[in-house]
Amino acid sequence: MKASYSEDEERFRKEIKDWLLENVPPEVRDKTLGGSTMDLDLMIKWHKTLYKKGWVAPHLPKELGGAGFTQVEQFIFNYEYGLSGAPRLKTAIVSLGMLAPLLLQFGTKKQQEKLIPDMISGEAIWCQGFSEPDAGSDLASLSTEALRKGDHFIVNGQKTWTSMADHADWMFMLVRTDPNVKKHAGITFLLVDLKTPGITIRPIEELIDHKAFSEVFFDDVKVPVENVIGEINDGWRVAGALLEHERLNAFPVGDLLYAVETIKTNAGNAFVDGEPLIKDKAFQQKLAEVEIDCNSFFYTFLRMLSKLKTGSQPGPEASLLKVYGAELYQRVMDLNIQTMGPYAQSWYNIDELGNSVHEASKGWINCRSLTIWGGSSEIQRTIIANRILRLPRK
Amino acid sequence: MEIYSIGTLMDLELTKEHKMLRESVAHFIKKENPFDRVRELKKDPLGYTKKIWKKMARLDWMGLIFPEEFGGSGMDFSYVMVLLEEFGKGLLPEPWISTVLLGGNLVLMGGSDEQKEEILPLICEGKLFMALAYLEDGGGYDTRYCTTRAVKNDQGFSISGKKIFVTDGCAADKFIISARTSKGISDGEGITLFILPEKAEGLKITPLKTMDGRNAAIFDLDNVQVSCDDIIGIQDKGHSILAEAVDQATIGLCAEMAGGMETALNITVRHLTDRIQFGKPIGSFQATQHKAADMFIQKELALSSVYYATASIAENIKGKRQVISTAKAKCSSAYLDITKTAVQLHGAFGFTNESDISLFIKRAKVTDVLFGDAGYHQKRYASLMGY
Repeated sequence: MKASYSEDEERFRKEIKDWLLENVPPEVRDKTLGGSTMDLDLMIKWHKTLYKKGWVAPHLPKELGGAGFTQVEQFIFNYEYGLSGAPRLKTAIVSLGMLAPLLLQFGTKKQQEKLIPDMISGEAIWCQGFSEPDAGSDLASLSTEALRKGDHFIVNGQKTWTSMADHADWMFMLVRTDPNVKKHAGITFLLVDLKTPGITIRPIEELIDHKAFSEVFFDDVKVPVENVIGEINDGWRVAGALLEHERLNAFPVGDLLYAVETIKTNAGNAFVDGEPLIKDKAFQQKLAEVEIDCNSFFYTFLRMLSKLKTGSQPGPEASLLKVYGAELYQRVMDLNIQTMGPYAQSWYNIDELGNSVHEASKGWINCRSLTIWGGSSEIQRTIIANRILRLPRK
Repeated sequence: MEIYSIGTLMDLELTKEHKMLRESVAHFIKKENPFDRVRELKKDPLGYTKKIWKKMARLDWMGLIFPEEFGGSGMDFSYVMVLLEEFGKGLLPEPWISTVLLGGNLVLMGGSDEQKEEILPLICEGKLFMALAYLEDGGGYDTRYCTTRAVKNDQGFSISGKKIFVTDGCAADKFIISARTSKGISDGEGITLFILPEKAEGLKITPLKTMDGRNAAIFDLDNVQVSCDDIIGIQDKGHSILAEAVDQATIGLCAEMAGGMETALNITVRHLTDRIQFGKPIGSFQATQHKAADMFIQKELALSSVYYATASIAENIKGKRQVISTAKAKCSSAYLDITKTAVQLHGAFGFTNESDISLFIKRAKVTDVLFGDAGYHQKRYASLMGY
């Protein structure tokens, strides 16, 4: 067992850290905590900067435009990235984090070479069409149908909660291709060009006032059969693999630790009766409790990574990352907004109230979604109970 | 900030050697220490047996981390973690932490050559039991708090004072005690460590039974005479050794706690699967499933903190003490949360001494406060981080 980086790893870490320190612009860093509220232009600009350096996709192969880092290097990179206050790329989270690894696993070489480079460069923005009004946690009950007509499908139905749909070029979606079999068995994984006629996108306003996700309506939309990933009617298995990839890249530990450091800064600036909150013993104990849980979470991540490093599969500890990480981040946001006192009432009026208030209060309400998307906490716990603890289902 | 950039990537996987030790300990526990034995020994004043202790010594477990020259195996702290996790899974009551970590390891860190030569081989052979007396009324968990005084005289020192909850205090042949030779009652400076024999004149030992069936003691010292040779290390400078020994023992205990959490979870899962109500196993209901999932999550987080703390000790990294506080705070909360939920999920049966889970909730409570509870370690963490 070892508690330190190797020399090579330390050298790599320093390279990443130094570059980020020099190149993450303050206007980007100032908006990271607020989450999805960053202007798209600012996000695109940052994406371009990162692309020029070759670091948009640490986990994807060099031949396709990725950085081609090893598992360990990816970890170090993602950790330093989050800690630097750089935001997750809204323009690429779904494409790079989910679809690209899936294409590498199930797609043809042609599909990989055609689609992945544009995801990395930001030329093509993707969105994920899974949820429907009647199919949220019970995703398999989805009813958007795709009727086979020779060399194409005709798609009819509706997707909802589709993040970035109003800015995206492409969508990957799950459709029902056989309504006559058990619900998991008649689903297909399909790629759709959002410029195809018959698609209507209606943005929905989130709690943070931004219309960051949308309803997407499909009226007789023609999609070529070659846009299927994997086999027809095998979509549920393909989607399952996608969710595995999502889980491994699951929780950005660096982001969590960056948020904790932000609390300390804010608490140092929050004066009550002449004393900064960071010196208040009660606050210190609350902070210690949160930081201790963040540390334990971080060490769990390291255990998982150690397994990957030695070639084994991540153990059951990987399952807790999403559910615990999300709830932990919410606790961090709860503590952060406490440093704002009565200012916590508003995230408007940035000029009068300052950016820290804006980020703290927007970040606080924005993080409510963390325990809902990507498999709600309730679903995650049921998965842990059934798959890891093997508790009976019926 | 520093805590995150020290030793932040590591190999937390167990080696083949670790796994071999683990298997052999698991096998021993299964054979020698079923829960019936644990229950039997609750009524015993010592709470363990010399017979099993001898067997453990023959398996070379006492001297795991002692140098070979003293009869040990010279392994690093990670082997302690593996050993104790298995002990904890089976609630082995033998006083390994007291004798090896609070006794032998402390002597190894700060003792003279003569003291090491006298004490360590005896521990390795299973012939010596030790206990550490440092806790006092009014001191909380702080190792610096010491009102017990050692006054210089012609023959050496005369020690008077009171130590509470000396873990395994009824079972030791030799004791290590912290006494103040100078400075104020809360100062780390001015503490001297002494070795005392069990039958020291003026030492009154009042036996205590902990709720998990182990033994502890109150020590009343009334002018107990010791010689200068009985000092471990240097007069007035004993605290750093005391603190380090306690810190390492803390992580040994955390490893034991993590093992206990694992068994408590397994027992609960089995119960949820077997117990039928309303025509179904109660483990098929979401309420019980989600509680069980939370038990699993807490166990994994606690175990991870133990792994990292172990590696931090083995490598003596900067920021090690914050990591130790992280682990103890986490393990204290987790073991309690897990066992409270476990008792709950067992229904009325969980409230009986007959249930195996009852053994674990009691152990959880005792270990919660040994070496500092969650609240203490959160404050210590805050202080070490310099908020």
